[in-house]
Amino acid sequence: MSQPAKPILLTVEDEEITSTLLRFLLERSGYNVVHAADGRQALDHIDHMTPPALVLLDVMLPYHSGLQILTHLRKKQNWRQVPVIMLTADSSERDIQQALAAGADDYLVKPFNPRELTARLHRFLKPAA
Amino acid sequence: MNATDLTQVIVQFGWFATAGIHLFAATILAWVLLLQALRRRTVKRRTYLMETWQPLLVECLLEVPESLPAIDPRDRNLFLLLWNHIQESIKGSASEQLNIVAGRIGLAELARQLLDNTGLRDRLLAITTLGRMKERSAWEQLVQLSRAENAMLSLEAVHALMRIDPALAVPLVAPSICRRKDWSPLKLMTILSEAGPHIVAAMMLRATSAAEPAILARLIRHLASTRCALALPVIRHHVESGEASDDVTAACLSYFGECSDPQDLPTIRSYLTHPTWFVRLQAAVALGKLGLPEDEILLTRLLDDSHWWVRYRAAEALTSLPSMTEEKMERLQLTLTSLEAQEILIPFMARLRIKFRAVPEI
Repeated sequence: MSQPAKPILLTVEDEEITSTLLRFLLERSGYNVVHAADGRQALDHIDHMTPPALVLLDVMLPYHSGLQILTHLRKKQNWRQVPVIMLTADSSERDIQQALAAGADDYLVKPFNPRELTARLHRFLKPAA
Repeated sequence: MNATDLTQVIVQFGWFATAGIHLFAATILAWVLLLQALRRRTVKRRTYLMETWQPLLVECLLEVPESLPAIDPRDRNLFLLLWNHIQESIKGSASEQLNIVAGRIGLAELARQLLDNTGLRDRLLAITTLGRMKERSAWEQLVQLSRAENAMLSLEAVHALMRIDPALAVPLVAPSICRRKDWSPLKLMTILSEAGPHIVAAMMLRATSAAEPAILARLIRHLASTRCALALPVIRHHVESGEASDDVTAACLSYFGECSDPQDLPTIRSYLTHPTWFVRLQAAVALGKLGLPEDEILLTRLLDDSHWWVRYRAAEALTSLPSMTEEKMERLQLTLTSLEAQEILIPFMARLRIKFRAVPEI
């Protein structure tokens, strides 16, 4: 009997160490990770890929900000229901307010605790096999 | 010597010069090739370290494997940078996991060796590492370094001490905070906030009771950065005693603003007409943080203040009031009679417009 396909998550993060960290933690939890390192790559993925199970989106990105990506993403019919968790820097209360107003489902403050990330993911996804 | 001999000498000299130049060029070329080869080897070795250790350190955040690969002594600094970089990206129990790795590969010993180097970069890296590792054995060395003349070095040592044991570090550091005017206030505030507001507020409070008036204002300003209400009764007493200097009163008003206890609103309002401009300024800033809709009129009056900074901060405070909207601000500007008051509102109206504007489309 074939195994069910792993859920796909899209991570958008320009910082190399953080993206390595995210990929490792998510793959270990049983998800497939598609990664975008800047705003342009993120747009390209959003326009061409099947909507993922969840998006982890950094606020500060090269070319297009995370908030712009979020607004763009929410306008697409088939991406409207995709849960989006924003990754924000420590002191950006305004970013958080704006992101939640623009349709983000949750946020995670960097630097983050890996266990907190897993806990927040489980709010939106059933643990993958 | 006849003309033929002279020609021969010149020709011979020419040959020697040409051979010398060729030899020199060949030596330079060989040297460049050697340097390139060495550089390639270094890059290869460093790439290997990054490719091996970056995923491994990330894996260690959850579980440290039984055996860890060796690190080439020449790449120890690079490894320290990588280890610190990953530490910066995470918090909580995962940070302790990285400290286990550091303990297994003897990072503390390496950092202590680097501490003895003369290079500032190496010493800063060592101090940061020891702080992150919470290495108590380096406590005395770090205390000495916290008194160093170099502001970067001493402040990083303070940061390390705070990471190791904030309760023990604050009483050691408090006198230096009063004295060191070369320490970046922003960096100091970050360090204090990391140590936990209650620990810092309690220790600062103790320091303020013994501080001279000239230092007191500085201490209260740092206390304000903790936003911890623990010291409010003492600070209220300073203000109510009527003996505080203008500097101290201004610092106390800043603290009231950061703590935002509505009980202090009448005190803050009473200082909006103080004869000293920087006291009025701090009262305006504080009112912007905890003011009510009825404070709009008090702040509007300050838009005509004789001092530019007071007008500027009053305009900023008006914008920060939760009751303020773009339309309200536009209406207010139309009612102002002086040109100064109207002009000072312009940048803040633009800021309000940005605040309420939708995120620009791609």
